[in-house]
Amino acid sequence: MAEGTGRGEMLSIWFFVGGLTLLYGLVLLPYGAWEWLAHREAPTVLNQLHPTFWWGLLLTLFGGFYTVRFRPRTGDINKT
Amino acid sequence: MNLDIALIASMTLMNRQLTHLAPIDILILALYFVLVIFIGFYVKGSTNTSEEFFLAGREMTAWIAGLSFVSANLGSLELMGWAGAAYQYGMLAMHWYWIGAIPAMLFLGVVMMPFYYISKTHSVPGYLQLRFGEGSRGLSAISFGFMTILMSGVNMYSMALVMKVVLGWNISFSIWVGAVTVAVYVMLGGLRSAIINEVLQFVLIWAGAALIPILGLVEAGGWVNLKAQIAQNVGSSDYTHLWTTLGHFRDNPMGVHWTGIVFGLGFVISFGYWTTDFLVVQRVLSANNLRAAKMAPIIGAAFKMAVPLIVIVPGLLALAVLKNPDGSILHLVGENAVNAQHPYSYNEVLPLMLIRYCGPGLLGLGITALIAGFMSGMAGNVSAFSTVWTYDIYGAFINKRASDKHYVSMGRWSTVVGMLISIGTAYLVANAASIMDYVQALFSFFIAPLFGTVVLGMLWKGATRAGGFWGLLAGTVSSIGMWLYTTYGGAAALSRIALSVDARPMAENLYRALWSWIICVVVTVAVSYCTEATPVAKLSGLVYGATTLPDDGAEGLWQKPTFWAVVVIVIFFILNIVFF
Repeated sequence: MAEGTGRGEMLSIWFFVGGLTLLYGLVLLPYGAWEWLAHREAPTVLNQLHPTFWWGLLLTLFGGFYTVRFRPRTGDINKT
Repeated sequence: MNLDIALIASMTLMNRQLTHLAPIDILILALYFVLVIFIGFYVKGSTNTSEEFFLAGREMTAWIAGLSFVSANLGSLELMGWAGAAYQYGMLAMHWYWIGAIPAMLFLGVVMMPFYYISKTHSVPGYLQLRFGEGSRGLSAISFGFMTILMSGVNMYSMALVMKVVLGWNISFSIWVGAVTVAVYVMLGGLRSAIINEVLQFVLIWAGAALIPILGLVEAGGWVNLKAQIAQNVGSSDYTHLWTTLGHFRDNPMGVHWTGIVFGLGFVISFGYWTTDFLVVQRVLSANNLRAAKMAPIIGAAFKMAVPLIVIVPGLLALAVLKNPDGSILHLVGENAVNAQHPYSYNEVLPLMLIRYCGPGLLGLGITALIAGFMSGMAGNVSAFSTVWTYDIYGAFINKRASDKHYVSMGRWSTVVGMLISIGTAYLVANAASIMDYVQALFSFFIAPLFGTVVLGMLWKGATRAGGFWGLLAGTVSSIGMWLYTTYGGAAALSRIALSVDARPMAENLYRALWSWIICVVVTVAVSYCTEATPVAKLSGLVYGATTLPDDGAEGLWQKPTFWAVVVIVIFFILNIVFF
């Protein structure tokens, strides 16, 4: 059984969690890197800490781990 | 609960826009909507039976059921409302997350869940039918259905208002986009789809909001410096204590007393909501075995205990770090006092803090988290409504002998119809803000007495069918009566219900719940002694003392739900002492 979806389905709910956070990380990380390197940080408080870059990196690592760990594998179907 | 009303009222009065989304923010928002709809279509194939549609096939793990359990409650309205309350009242707001939730969630897991689970009931009204008969079931099902559909509409309207104030979006656009999205994924995938999305939403809320306390504490120079700055800015150190100001009603800005917090909130309201409100209990009923059903609320409690970090801490931070352009402290005010000099109300704390620290990209993530929170609130209401309507109203009183396929079909249609009624309610609320007072009042009318009925039913063999019905009715009617009395009776009435002339409306809520629970229990006991007792053989599987509880399969200390409940309650006490 794919955990959290249903019998006969390949994708685990943790895969969805990982996929969404990975996607967000992959959007935020390069944008944050560009802001940092091009000195185009938004005028927010503590922008000198480059929160978009670091948060994007964290989401990429978190999402990447969950995506790989819970990726669909052969034999998941109907496994109980 | 009344904080939600204040939030909406203040939003209604505002006619400006705090920020706007950049293309990267819109991309983040769009990705979320695409995934949510995809999940609905993806799980549709495994929601063919009523058990699958309404209870997610009872195959969720403890972690999934537990996260969904918390997420269904974690609407953005609640997040924003309590962040505002933390700014206004300080750490007293924390009580609604700790004593107002944790003990009740643990009690549900350890004591009550075995009865809900082994009775194989599909709903809380369904349990009442098994224990007290059709009358109690009908009363609770109709009141619950009415309440949830109204709450769904309020959620919808609130989301639309937040989007209007924060981003300048059109009200109708927000209402229809949110409603159609939720209707599609709940109609297609039922509770299974709702649960998957709620787990996603829970993660998203943290991903979108956790940066605020992190960067805020960096800016404030840590917790100790934050406390010192708050004490200096507001002229009192009371804002960062949980219990020290609760010795008398007049000693704290909420106008409450510790007895109201402990007994009214911590016992009646909290236990009533977390153990008998089907919106949250339904998530736990989806667990794949008894141990998972017991563990889910315990896991939920652990996460619930952490939520103040992203709700209460931002409110407290705002007291220290929000400043005007000239460097003076920015004072947020009540919704009635918003003017050119004080343009922001308490309830805008969370968006203001989000905008303070989050530029393009992160802002989109934060806004997506808020929208996800609103949608989880809507989905929770509409999926619970569809279940109670189909099982406890339609299936119990209108069409008792239909096929399973027919009931699944009814579940899908009632989701759509429920959502359409909710949209109507949302527009009704838009045109008559006072309706929300009544919606909130409805909530309190039914939850406190329902807890009295359910807990007596589960723990006392002597409670009879007539006792359960009349106790529930008396508790509900007395709660409505007290509400009318204090609404039209003014300060004198309030002081009688809440036992002090210094009591404020928040205290009235707490004591009204306590009185209605006591009335329910007294009437249930009295009527039970006057009516014929139910044979013990008929109570098997429903009542403590008449049931041999099955082994939950836990092997060793680490698998025992009771052990983890003790761990959570010990941490709960430590936190209360640390922030005393």
